[in-house]
Amino acid sequence: MAVGWLSRLAMRGPATVFPALGMHGEEALYRLAREPGITLVDTPRHATILLVAGGVPPHFHDSLRRVHDQLPAPFAALWYRSEPLLELQQPGSGKMDDLAALPDTIMDTCRRLMAGEQDTASRLLSDTPPHPWQGLGDDGHGGEGMMGGVPYGRPMAMPPTPDLRDGLALDILTFRLGPFFPLWPAGLEAEVTLQGDIVQQFSVLSAPYPRALPRVFLEAQKGPVAIAELERKRIRYHMRAFFHALRLAHLPDLARRALVLAEQCDSQPVEKLSKRFRAFERALARRGFFALYLPQGGTLDSEQSRTLKGFAARAAGVEDDVRQADEGYRRLGFSVLTQQAGDVPARWRQRLMEVEQSLGLIARAQQKGTVTAVTDVVELPHGAGSADGLLESLLPGLEWSEALATLASLDLAEVSPWPCP
Amino acid sequence: MALSVMLEQLVWPLAMVFAVLGGGVYLWAVLDGLAARSFGLPQAQSVWLTPLSRGTWLLIQQANSTEAPDLWAWRLAPALYLALAAVGLALVPWSQGWVATDLATSLVLWGSLEALATVVIFLQGWSANSHFALVGAYRYVALGLSYILISMFVLIGVALPAESLALTRIVASQQDVWNLVRQPLGLPLFLMVGLALTFRGPFNLADPRDLAGGTSVEVSGPPRLVWELARSAMLVAFSGIAATVFLGGWLGPWLPGPLWVMLKMLAILALLAWLGRWFAVMTPSRCLSLMWLILLPLAFVDLVWAGVVALL
Repeated sequence: MAVGWLSRLAMRGPATVFPALGMHGEEALYRLAREPGITLVDTPRHATILLVAGGVPPHFHDSLRRVHDQLPAPFAALWYRSEPLLELQQPGSGKMDDLAALPDTIMDTCRRLMAGEQDTASRLLSDTPPHPWQGLGDDGHGGEGMMGGVPYGRPMAMPPTPDLRDGLALDILTFRLGPFFPLWPAGLEAEVTLQGDIVQQFSVLSAPYPRALPRVFLEAQKGPVAIAELERKRIRYHMRAFFHALRLAHLPDLARRALVLAEQCDSQPVEKLSKRFRAFERALARRGFFALYLPQGGTLDSEQSRTLKGFAARAAGVEDDVRQADEGYRRLGFSVLTQQAGDVPARWRQRLMEVEQSLGLIARAQQKGTVTAVTDVVELPHGAGSADGLLESLLPGLEWSEALATLASLDLAEVSPWPCP
Repeated sequence: MALSVMLEQLVWPLAMVFAVLGGGVYLWAVLDGLAARSFGLPQAQSVWLTPLSRGTWLLIQQANSTEAPDLWAWRLAPALYLALAAVGLALVPWSQGWVATDLATSLVLWGSLEALATVVIFLQGWSANSHFALVGAYRYVALGLSYILISMFVLIGVALPAESLALTRIVASQQDVWNLVRQPLGLPLFLMVGLALTFRGPFNLADPRDLAGGTSVEVSGPPRLVWELARSAMLVAFSGIAATVFLGGWLGPWLPGPLWVMLKMLAILALLAWLGRWFAVMTPSRCLSLMWLILLPLAFVDLVWAGVVALL
């Protein structure tokens, strides 16, 4: 009786979801982030629902199994536009393709788990260490004295090495992160060596999944498209990027505002959008996004900027924008906006400036019905350069939080040949 | 006679401590929900029901483990943090003679609780045997020393006009004017200590998002419930101390003393809920720079100010 009463109470709370993003799974994330009945969490330990959104390549299936088994019971896995793992492919496996129905399905699954109407998912892996104990010593520290050893196949946090900043000898800690780490781009897997809080080494093992862009960017490569529509999608892209950074900055309400603004881009009159965007911009400054959260580091040098292209290059002073060669844009008075610093705050300021510029372009393009003139190349919202080897040189020496803020300020994924679903 | 003294001096004050601890934690969760709603975050259900739903969900959930944790320490750390909060609340005087633990050095005991909290929070992060939890623990220790020093300067400042380290004497010294007015830097600095002590808002270095939850990244089920209760309980205890040393404790017209203390605690909690949601989190290096280069010198100015005013 008491358990029933507790379960009924627990059922009324928000559903906690750990999103394991596959390819083209971001739409589910953005949809759920606006849902009051759903709380997105950053660790599987805090979740009741594992949402696998988008296709997961076979070489990540073992990683997915490990994430799956970290959820505490009772839990369930749902598969949005994703194929369940082989051992879970059975009727009622939680596979679904309808984005609109996703929030309700999640909340209903959570409710049934709490009520005991649905069994908790079964574990996929045996609860044993992945490698045998290989260390020495009575206390299991893994070596002679206090040093050495490879317990469970992993080296201990030894030996001390000089700190990158002050030369103080500290233990190092090496671990793998990704491809389902929700605080950096989906698909990115890396081996990270931390010394205290400082990134000493960062080795990319797997690049982020290719990023699908709105269809209009692909159509613009085949023929003229309305500039207003193109710029609306560009704003939406940048506002979604703000969502990720603002979550990291512990400003969930502003993160939600950024998403709402992104979703309103397609339908709202440009005057309303401009007003809301200016309020958003003011809130960023007042709430300490620049002054308290964003690090001054993560600076791209001129070669890195030119390689990366897009807004990141312009934030470092490179006047590179395909739109300046487009007659349609020139008629609307387009000019390339740049900054000089090339660091993390400069990239976010560049995005803000470009959103504001896009709002002006939309207003003028709508009046004149202007379309693009250049069709062979298109200025994509995140640039179209290569990020090979960038993180390996950019992140060492930064604190972990600064490294994540730097990652959030960049767009490292390649462009997918397919548009957003 | 002995029974009435025991009731008056032991049973009722202790009952008050436990009642305020339970009720305060619940009210804090409600205030935080209201703050979230005022910031434009829609809530799935009534803010009065959310803490209960969340609590029962964690109660039902499995308490997981990690590979080779220090299990005793891991399970004990949340309980110890909760115990520290209860001890802190026991120091709060509800009226002239109604104090669970009325020590001549109660201010010193509160200071030692702040220091012990650093140990307990480190224990929580270290014992999970997980890299992010460990980094959260390291970060908190780095922050700990700076906020403890600020707290000590500020609290010595309020002890000066009372010429005592007893909280009851400190309240009595505010009969004419509250320390909030007498030492205008004191309460703002002490509020930042409160946010740092419970790692909230801009000072959340122990359980931040970039560490996917930091010291609690691996915790689920009842241990997580106790950990969250303890964090909230410490904030309630902190608000009790802040109301006592800066807002005149039980002093106030018309209403009974204990009610005044509770109202002042609620005001402090509401302010902390708002502050915690308003500011972005700081990077650890920026947080330490702020603490050592700005807040600590300000705390020293506050102390000098308090000393000069006390001498005049």
